[in-house]
Amino acid sequence: MRFVHIFLIVSIILNFNFIKADEIKTENKIAKNLRCLICQGQSVYDSDSEFAISLKLVIKNKIQEGMSEEQIYSFLKIKYGEWILYDPVFNKNTYFLWLLPILIFLAGGAIIIRRFYNKNNLD
Amino acid sequence: MASFIGSYSLGFGLFFSIFIIFFSIINLKNSEVLDKKIISFTFIQFFFVFISFLGLIISFIISDFSNETVFNHSHTTKPLFYKISGAWGNHEGSLLLWLLVLTLFISIFLMKSNQQPTKYRIFTLLFQQIIIIGFFVFLIKTSSPFNYIFPKPNEGLGLNPILQDPALAIHPPILYLGYVGSSIIFSSALGAMVTTHVSKEWAKHIKRWVLASWVFLTLGILLGSIWAYYELGWGGFWFWDPVENVSLMPWFALTTLLHCILVLEKKKILTSWAMILSIATFALSMSGTFLVRSGILNSVHTFANDPERGLFILIFLFTLIFLSIFIFIFFHSEEEKIENNFFWLSKETSILVNNWFMMYFLSVVLIGTIYPIFLEVITANKISVGPPFYNKLIIPFLIPFLLAMAIGPKLNWIKSDFKDKFYMIIFLMISFLLSALIIREFNISFLINTILVTSAFFLFFSTLREFFIKRLKNLSQNIAHFGFSLLILSIIFNNIFSNEVITNLKIGETFKSEKFIINFENINQENGKNFKAIIGKFNVLYTDGSSDTLNPELRIYNQPNIITSEADIKTNLLTDKFMTMNYVQNQEYFNIRYQIKPFMIWIWISVILISFGGLLSFFKKRYEI
Repeated sequence: MRFVHIFLIVSIILNFNFIKADEIKTENKIAKNLRCLICQGQSVYDSDSEFAISLKLVIKNKIQEGMSEEQIYSFLKIKYGEWILYDPVFNKNTYFLWLLPILIFLAGGAIIIRRFYNKNNLD
Repeated sequence: MASFIGSYSLGFGLFFSIFIIFFSIINLKNSEVLDKKIISFTFIQFFFVFISFLGLIISFIISDFSNETVFNHSHTTKPLFYKISGAWGNHEGSLLLWLLVLTLFISIFLMKSNQQPTKYRIFTLLFQQIIIIGFFVFLIKTSSPFNYIFPKPNEGLGLNPILQDPALAIHPPILYLGYVGSSIIFSSALGAMVTTHVSKEWAKHIKRWVLASWVFLTLGILLGSIWAYYELGWGGFWFWDPVENVSLMPWFALTTLLHCILVLEKKKILTSWAMILSIATFALSMSGTFLVRSGILNSVHTFANDPERGLFILIFLFTLIFLSIFIFIFFHSEEEKIENNFFWLSKETSILVNNWFMMYFLSVVLIGTIYPIFLEVITANKISVGPPFYNKLIIPFLIPFLLAMAIGPKLNWIKSDFKDKFYMIIFLMISFLLSALIIREFNISFLINTILVTSAFFLFFSTLREFFIKRLKNLSQNIAHFGFSLLILSIIFNNIFSNEVITNLKIGETFKSEKFIINFENINQENGKNFKAIIGKFNVLYTDGSSDTLNPELRIYNQPNIITSEADIKTNLLTDKFMTMNYVQNQEYFNIRYQIKPFMIWIWISVILISFGGLLSFFKKRYEI
């Protein structure tokens, strides 16, 4: 299990992060990771609905107040629920979501390795 | 009148299933030769469904609003092309299209499989008939396209304008050809298990069906993606939207199956795995239909839904899955021990590695798509699984996948070694230097980007070399793999180097950024057949002195009364320039979204290359037989 955890952490660190000093870039990035709650499957960034427009303003203000990206996410999570975050938080509800694919990957590898191991034993 | 004929011929079509099944069972008991009557009846069934489909199209063309489907989805002012495509742009019509392709494919199957054992052909036909009957009943019971309305309305409700688009007109038929092709693979796998025909010959014969479905599925996904790019107005081509995922999952399964079949046609190993994949591909296609049609998924694409229909598909799906599990357990026998020896470094292993990663990608997409649904049912917690999730779980795994993809095809069957493979190390170094340079140049100092680009370049160069060294040998595979490297490179560069602004402008105003100046010159009004268009004229001036004129549109459709935003896209080989405009409520401002997207066209070109590889392989086999 420890390996899985380390693996997961590494893969999280290794993800595409376009952190730019630019505030607008951060703003856009946050907006892209938020679901527009009144739309059908659009992000806040992609939507021009009133909800999205006001939320973009909220993000802008929060950045100017000096909140970090993570703080803004958790602020919005408390206000609107986890539904708004496109990047699901790693907690007891989502252990399976994050770990099951990795476990499947490891199991697949184990099956392939076992094939060769068994064959060698037969020889 | 056309609806009337259509409705009745649907009934006749179902009726012929009885004959087909009856004569098939008699044939199974009595004779070693396939009864000609069965083939004729299969054709007649196809013919009736075809008439029915034609009836629906004609009802759409003549705007016969006494037909409920036409009333709900058409309008007299709609252009003829979209009247026709409207026939399958809705739930009822698209199911009729499914049925049409189902009956067409089984007819083609019977014609093309005369070198296969008779029993196997009959069993395949019987299993296909189960699916066909299921769809007939589904169509007639819950979603008849020929419901009659009295009194006849004078005007229809119209088709959702975002569906009035050439790419989306042909997207469903192409995608369905892929989906339904997998039904033949499914029935054939069951038929082969029952008659113990799972063999190299079977693999050779079914490979063509796998390839054909795979090409259609690939192109179908591509068309949907292109449509989303220019029509939905956000400039992205893939959003990891549940409905997109649903089409991607059978694609993963089918791609895995395709590679697995390559081994199976050489020697009889991995048979159980091939059977599981054949079943899984079709199950995923069916559950895709279920998830989309039941309205469980929250998505931009959810156009029509109804719980009763969802329930029917769910029951039907489970019946088919149980049937196939039953057959797999009781009829399938594993006899692979004899030929099962290959060295760890061999083409067989590399294909296993392909299967391994493909299954992983499939599981990521599957879990990401359905987990939120289960979580909500069980704990009432609503979570979203979006692009960040998929990026995190897929991108790191792409690196070994790309490397394996470059090395795998160069290995020999059974046993291989690293002799004469030193050029690979050189390629790897060149790729690394090249990507390090590019990534540094653009000031994105991220390790992952460099490694990812390196592995993509490595595949790119390795496949490029093959074109010169091996020329026509393995050309199809090489084109497809080359296309994949190009796809990954284009997506990464597109992602990294995209440049976008969103701003509100009035007529006459300008927007200045470091790299360009946008000038909102004026707006014009034009009238289309069923919409009024407001066309903006924008001039974009770049720092290097060049300029572009872009004319994004707002369309106000008459029926249904919906405003859509049409992007204006200037495409050339290096970049796409993409502009949309939208109303800002109660103000004279327009919301302008301007994006510079490098290598956009290469994403489409590489997917076309990938499917072209499949197409080539499809025709190559024909000459060899």
